Amino acid sequence: MRFNSYEFMIARRFLVSGRSQTVLIILGIAIGVAVQVFLISLMDGLQRNLIQRTIGSSPHVTIAPPLSSPQPLGIGGGAIDDYQRPLKTEESEILSWQRYSDYLGSFEEITVAAPMINGNGYIEKGRSSFPVLIKGITLPEADVIYKFNKNTVSGDPRPGGNSVLIGVASSEKSGLKVGDSFYLRNQKGTGDYFSIKGIFDLGSSAANNMVVMSLDRARNFLDITGISSIEIQVHDVFAADDLAEKLRASLNQVKVESWQEKNQELLSGLQAQDTSSAMIQFFVLLSITLGIASVLAIVAIQKSRQLGILKAMGTNDKSAARIFIIQGFSMGFVGALIGILLGLGMTSLFMFGTKSSGGPTYELKITLTNILLPALLALLSASLASLVPARRAAGLNPMEVIRNE
Amino acid sequence: MSDIIFLDRINKFYGSEVVFQVLFDINLSIKSGQFTAIIGPSGSGKSTLLNIIGLLETPTSGKVFLDGLDTSRLNKDELAACRNEKTGFIFQFHYLLPEFTALENILIPYWIGKGRPPGKVVDRALHLMKRIGIEQLGGKYPNQLSGGQQQRVAIARSLINNPKIIFADEPTGNLDSKTSNMVMELLKEIVSENNTTLVMVTHDRDIAAGADRTIEIVDGRINFDSAHTY
Repeated sequence: MRFNSYEFMIARRFLVSGRSQTVLIILGIAIGVAVQVFLISLMDGLQRNLIQRTIGSSPHVTIAPPLSSPQPLGIGGGAIDDYQRPLKTEESEILSWQRYSDYLGSFEEITVAAPMINGNGYIEKGRSSFPVLIKGITLPEADVIYKFNKNTVSGDPRPGGNSVLIGVASSEKSGLKVGDSFYLRNQKGTGDYFSIKGIFDLGSSAANNMVVMSLDRARNFLDITGISSIEIQVHDVFAADDLAEKLRASLNQVKVESWQEKNQELLSGLQAQDTSSAMIQFFVLLSITLGIASVLAIVAIQKSRQLGILKAMGTNDKSAARIFIIQGFSMGFVGALIGILLGLGMTSLFMFGTKSSGGPTYELKITLTNILLPALLALLSASLASLVPARRAAGLNPMEVIRNE
Repeated sequence: MSDIIFLDRINKFYGSEVVFQVLFDINLSIKSGQFTAIIGPSGSGKSTLLNIIGLLETPTSGKVFLDGLDTSRLNKDELAACRNEKTGFIFQFHYLLPEFTALENILIPYWIGKGRPPGKVVDRALHLMKRIGIEQLGGKYPNQLSGGQQQRVAIARSLINNPKIIFADEPTGNLDSKTSNMVMELLKEIVSENNTTLVMVTHDRDIAAGADRTIEIVDGRINFDSAHTY
């Protein structure tokens, strides 16, 4: 499509002469874009916040021995069962974990791969016992995932020897404080005395029910030769799925699981939210498009006399159509621009508002995509809407106008 | 002098359910540089004939040759370009664009055909305005002008592309007699200065009397042609 300069000039004059209509359309587009920028930023921020809270202080990908989850026993010696059976030595522990660690170190997307020992135990206090998860960690790797440094509410965040960290939930249930010593029993019935060095709050009740000690101490306490799992965090949490897929392809003796697989419900919730916000966006765009189309159609009728004159003087049909497409595009462009500014304003006002009111603060996520996508879509709808009057303009016969007088 | 306009058996029908024939087998040739007046009663088909010669309407059958070009072979876009290049129109109503100043209105036909007018063309527009006595009105919008001034702007507009033919449909029909005479004189002068062919539909026998040739259309047929009475 080749544009002639007079088409721009005439489009501009038509826009200026129909000032109130032009302003109304631009305002409509601007509000539509602003609402979308705000909505998308809000949703995006909310989702990221939710995900951060859910998985921020937990592994994104977990490598575990296959038997750490219930599996068919495989008794009976069927060929298929035999084929599926992992090597005996890797059944309930990862023995060769150093090799895994080295291998995982070669992935750029991995922030940290921390060896872990997991087990169950009971804090014994008098006649009561409180079930806890026992976790053996290495520092500083585990700190990247669980951020004990940040999440320790009292005491010291570094476990060592028989000095351990316990979660706030366990601490509250058992009444133990920093410096207290207690008897911890493992599943096999044996146990030992430990002292509490620090108490942490990881934000979830399961995690706050942990007793955290050094890897070696846990290995010894739980009588494990290797490790229980390798917990991985990645730079882009949404890429965890892909990484899990890759690891699954290369590591066939262990079970690889991403946070997405463990949190299907959260993800489907987020997906539903995405769908509903996409629907809102679609209808906002639709109403913008219909609004522009109807106003421009009226403009085309109002300007049919001028179009007839222009055609009599040699404007062809395509050119007449382009005059309206230019109008639609220009209003879309200006509207989108104002909309972006308005949307950013609304977003920062909202953030300021929630912060100053002391409510739960979370950052609205303003990204280039969040801004450009609604703006581009609005621009596209405005241009599409202008096809309605453009068609009318193209089909207009100059004689209709000239003879009507 | 050569024929700048040649009509070959033009017929024009209107309507689809009730078909109504407006023009019957019109054959006509008009020489370059002539002032031809087309007269006739209302509804005789004279305006339709003018619009067909001016490529604003297409004949139902027959051919229109303009400046040697068979216009029946042109598509819609080419017809539009041909209108822009070869013809100028002056209507009973000025049909200026209200969004543009007088000077801009005069320049629009050039802009449509060739893009933004260079200084040379603007100078030509100013010269034309001066020639027809509206040089001080260039910045005014059509609704700020009197009827005679508007029609003079329309005349300047029809001349900006140096067309070979100017079509005028009752150009003075909306003006008082004094203004009418003034506009008519001006039009004739300018047309003869530029050796432009002028084809004008008019009711006015006095105007027709001043033409080089008068053609009377009655009921869609040429009833009288002064060229054949010499």
